[in-house]
Amino acid sequence: MSSHNDLSMAPKMPDHLETSTLEGKNKILGVWFFIGAETVLFASLFGTYLALKNQHMDGPSSQELFNIWMVAVMTVALLTSSLTSVLGIVSMHRNNLQRTLFWFGVTVLLGATFLGLEIYEFYEYTHLGHHFTGSAFASAFYTLVGTHGSHVLFGILWITSLIIQVRKQGLTPVTAPKLYVSSLYWHFIDVIWVFIFTVVYLLGKVG
Amino acid sequence: MATDSKTTAQGAPKNPSDRSRKHLIAFAVMMVLTAIAFAAVATGALPVAALVTLLLIMAAIQVVIQFFTFMHLDQKGHFFPIFFTGAGLLFAVVVVLGVWLLL
Repeated sequence: MSSHNDLSMAPKMPDHLETSTLEGKNKILGVWFFIGAETVLFASLFGTYLALKNQHMDGPSSQELFNIWMVAVMTVALLTSSLTSVLGIVSMHRNNLQRTLFWFGVTVLLGATFLGLEIYEFYEYTHLGHHFTGSAFASAFYTLVGTHGSHVLFGILWITSLIIQVRKQGLTPVTAPKLYVSSLYWHFIDVIWVFIFTVVYLLGKVG
Repeated sequence: MATDSKTTAQGAPKNPSDRSRKHLIAFAVMMVLTAIAFAAVATGALPVAALVTLLLIMAAIQVVIQFFTFMHLDQKGHFFPIFFTGAGLLFAVVVVLGVWLLL
């Protein structure tokens, strides 16, 4: 059905709206640069944490502190939000505005759930004597996990503002790269969380 | 839907439902890997060295799935993203090991 259209359209019709303009392509490449740089930022924080995790002084150690089931719930929320944001991109490729907005809305809600649980977790930890200035372990922990949490917060604000804009302007060559790039960022935040729950929480529980 | 005609002129977009299914399968695999990782720690059935190895392998598989399905690196024309992210990961490993072992 599509074969006889190929000749009539000299410039290829965009299969993917987000890469239909040079600006869109450059934005995506730029975000990949950014992700490479963020990788190194988080690597420094991971290295610091691994070096200092046993220096807990008078405060609780990681084995005593961590509540693994709450971390499991947070992980499910964030992993699911990664799926919903890619479903948003699939809907965008199908040019389905309502469904795109729906999936990105679910992504924001799951991100907010994650963030709420993390705030509650930090609140609980400070009551157990795990303060930012309490020990090298505590400082390294809050800096690493808190930096990730602030990225989640930024992602929530970013995607929310995009939802508002896309609702007004629709799916265009201008808005599509923005959605695509925010979804890349969101997946990257999820990748970082995979390492945090493995290296900080699970390995912290093992000792 | 003002753009309906445009969509059909484009021809059937290359099996978007397949793409959804691919993502759902990737998600299921990631959930299973996560569940195994948490269960392994919660039950404490494995010796520590084996457990640490298992957890790190699980994380590495999840990250590869995330990059190549959700972040679309499996599609054509992703040489530079793969190159830059690979460079970022390489530096990350060096930084983590460096800081960890030096401190």
